[in-house]
Amino acid sequence: MRIGEIIESTSTHFVAEGFELNHPPALGSFVRVCVGEGCDLYGVVCYGETGSLDPGRRAVRRSTEESFDDQIYRESPQLEHVLRTEFTSLAVGVIERGEVLQCLPSQPPPLHFSVHGCSADETTLFTENLHYFRILLRASGLVPVEQLLAANIRQVHRGRGEDKDWLQRAAREAANLLKYDYDRLMTLLYAIEPTS
Amino acid sequence: MKLSLLDKALQQMTELALAKDRTQWLVRARQLLHDADPDRLRGKLLDRTVRVPWLVAIPLSTMDGVFEAPDCPKNFTVVAADGSSIPPDRHSPARYYVINTGHAILTYGDQPDAALDSSAQLHFQSEDLYLDPLTGSFPVEGARLSAKMVVAELKALWEATERGEEPVVALSDGSLILWGLQNEHARVQQQLLGEFLRYLERFRGAGIPVASYISYPGARDVINSLRVWLCQGEAIDCGNCSASEVMDFCRALVGILDRQLFGFLRAGERSAVFESTSAILDQYGADRIQFFYMEVGGEVVRIEAPQWVMRNSEMLGLVQAVVYDQCRRSAIQPPYPPALQEAHEQAAISSTERQLVEGLVERALAREGIVYTRSAKDRSKRRRAV
Repeated sequence: MRIGEIIESTSTHFVAEGFELNHPPALGSFVRVCVGEGCDLYGVVCYGETGSLDPGRRAVRRSTEESFDDQIYRESPQLEHVLRTEFTSLAVGVIERGEVLQCLPSQPPPLHFSVHGCSADETTLFTENLHYFRILLRASGLVPVEQLLAANIRQVHRGRGEDKDWLQRAAREAANLLKYDYDRLMTLLYAIEPTS
Repeated sequence: MKLSLLDKALQQMTELALAKDRTQWLVRARQLLHDADPDRLRGKLLDRTVRVPWLVAIPLSTMDGVFEAPDCPKNFTVVAADGSSIPPDRHSPARYYVINTGHAILTYGDQPDAALDSSAQLHFQSEDLYLDPLTGSFPVEGARLSAKMVVAELKALWEATERGEEPVVALSDGSLILWGLQNEHARVQQQLLGEFLRYLERFRGAGIPVASYISYPGARDVINSLRVWLCQGEAIDCGNCSASEVMDFCRALVGILDRQLFGFLRAGERSAVFESTSAILDQYGADRIQFFYMEVGGEVVRIEAPQWVMRNSEMLGLVQAVVYDQCRRSAIQPPYPPALQEAHEQAAISSTERQLVEGLVERALAREGIVYTRSAKDRSKRRRAV
């Protein structure tokens, strides 16, 4: 399913304008961009933001005692057109004719190309291998990397039908990668611990 | 510029603005508005033998009437349009101008919706550039370009209105009185005003109320009418005025604006309807423009509309209700109708876009081997070499 259009593209990440206001794809979820015949570039959502379409116009408070939340959008229908939701994805690999490559792509995805949400099958195929954790842990963004990786592990775990084996494998891989950073590791492990 | 040279004048200007006696005069002016007999004043204003040297407001009912805003319908649409232009540049080798119109269609109620869009047009043919292309006279610039833009705005407003769900109110920004054409040649008036009135006629034919919103109005029409009421002379001849007991008051009234006079209105309330005496309105026929003042929740604004809107109590009520509702939905203070704000945002041409248009023209000419050379004066301003 198309969920956005690329408006900024680099070798390491791409920014897309989402089609649904206030609903960027979940932090840590997988997205893909079809960059050629049988070739999809995979990304992990690392940041989302909603603001004014025009940088010169800031959003201001609109709520009153009687009107707030969804009601604001019903009373000011133009907001759907003057606000926009953007999300950033880290490029983490490519699937070319069924072969998974977990590394930075050779080319940034083309501007204005569509960003698709990934199906459970696509996510499962890409996450058989966990090398892409290394790319996520080296990301430099506003979201702390351990939170980003934790969000990704939660999303994938859910996408793989609560696959316990995979979750244990992901936790061991994360523990291995963060073995010299106890605080970050514990933050991550607490964040991915199943609630039940 | 040596800003220090303005210091003293700035101080004097501030003192003038703070003139305490103005409040007293304003109280007296409001009392006069209450006391003036609208029928007798109308008679005096319409008396052809009394030459009135100012623009005045002819009272149609009361002078000091106050009317509360009725409730808005549950479902309704507000349509607004605005325009912006890149005027012809006499330093450029190619003569052209650009008019960009923007519109907003905002639907409220059970199924809220919005449509915002703009439309730009490059005018370069001789019939676009000159109102008499054969002789190359009446170039479209200054007041003529402004009038051309107002016509384009009204056209955009009409086209957008056709897409709106009824009941619909069409709002434009600024005055519907094209007074800028007053001193133009009959041919110019005929062309520009003719087209403008054809669109007003369409609104009338469709029974769709169209009105314009003037924020921070600088008009004194009602104040001037009060001065006429005050004047005891047979003719309005300020140079030879001997009525000393009212002279001070009359002179003080000159410093008061209509929006200050109607400052007693409360949020949502409007004044009575008045008719403007602008000479250009003699050509408006059935679409003669009338106006009222209204407190929208932080500002007294002027609303203008054709007489067929003002005379129809249902349309008049709808315009007042919708304008007040728009201002209550505004995200800024003092409020401004969101439909007009979005239409303006669509119509605005940024400085980057202006440069872009110039670059596009330059490249289009270059493709045909025409070198784009600007005037020496213009180049000296751009290069600013020392």
